[in-house]
Amino acid sequence: MQENQTNPSFTNGVPELLILKLLQQREMYGYEIVRAIRARTSAVIEAGEGVVYPVLHGLERDGELTSRRRTVNGRSRIYYSVTTAGAHRLADLTEAWTNQAAAIRKMLTGGHHEKVAQ
Amino acid sequence: MRKLLNELRERLLRAGIAPRHARRYIAELADHLADLTEEEERAGRGRANAESSALIRLGGIDELSRAMVEQRQFQSLCARAPWAMFGLVPLVLLAGAYFVSCLILWSGWRIFLPGTDTPFVRVDGFAILYFGIGRSLYHYAPILIGWGIGLVAARQRLTAVWPTASLVLLALAGGMAQVHVSRPSVPGGIGSVGMGFDVGPSVGGIPFGLTHALVILALTVLPYLILRFQMDRSISA
Repeated sequence: MQENQTNPSFTNGVPELLILKLLQQREMYGYEIVRAIRARTSAVIEAGEGVVYPVLHGLERDGELTSRRRTVNGRSRIYYSVTTAGAHRLADLTEAWTNQAAAIRKMLTGGHHEKVAQ
Repeated sequence: MRKLLNELRERLLRAGIAPRHARRYIAELADHLADLTEEEERAGRGRANAESSALIRLGGIDELSRAMVEQRQFQSLCARAPWAMFGLVPLVLLAGAYFVSCLILWSGWRIFLPGTDTPFVRVDGFAILYFGIGRSLYHYAPILIGWGIGLVAARQRLTAVWPTASLVLLALAGGMAQVHVSRPSVPGGIGSVGMGFDVGPSVGGIPFGLTHALVILALTVLPYLILRFQMDRSISA
């Protein structure tokens, strides 16, 4: 039970970052987003696939995503795309996570960050 | 599959998630589940195996509900401020309905009955319809608002405390509301229409206002109880 829990302060913003990054390239629906995340992270980041929707709805409510219903192959889907506010949030999250990742990498390699990064 | 989604919807509603957010979440999860099942079938699994694999991939009910409940922004007004939804809103709506009702009475008196001492006289023609709208609003507003409260409370799967308190408050306000008219002070002048709250004269030892309140309460509580019963039955089915 305990090993499945994550520290919110460390994971805060990760799902948003991944989703905004994917949707920056093209609009997608939930199932596509989950597949793309799994493919691009080599399935390292995995959770119940359904939990993507509260994140999408939250981003939409904050005005960072917009959605529209489209019928493709006879199935009605809700497609999401990034708004200008979402693009700004993506830039902020990217910068924050790049800095954090660099700091953690440096910590783990005992200060040889540049060498590992290359 | 359907059972999981129904159970999830109930959990979300009971946790205070607004019905429209719960509905959308469930609809998207159902689509996602269908996609996952198709994917598993394409991978060579039989229908039953594909469905159970899809359910595992979608996430457990605890995980799915927690993801939504943790986002406080999806909570309904009933969950965030029940005092406003079940205390303030019904009284404001009732006050609005009574204001319009009095306005209709006052304007109808001026238009159709100029020079009379009271608007409570026999009328005919279009005046019947005009005054009838005001009278209906006055009599039925507490009941209609009560039905609205019952519907909202049942849809939101709320415990009975708030809606019951709200319906009692509404019944008391509706039962004791009295329209007062004052005669014109000068012959041919315009009288005034106002409202007050009074238990009224006693009929058979029971104040009329209280009897009226009990009738309103019965007419509003009953549909609420039926709705709750139907919803509980559909959940357990």
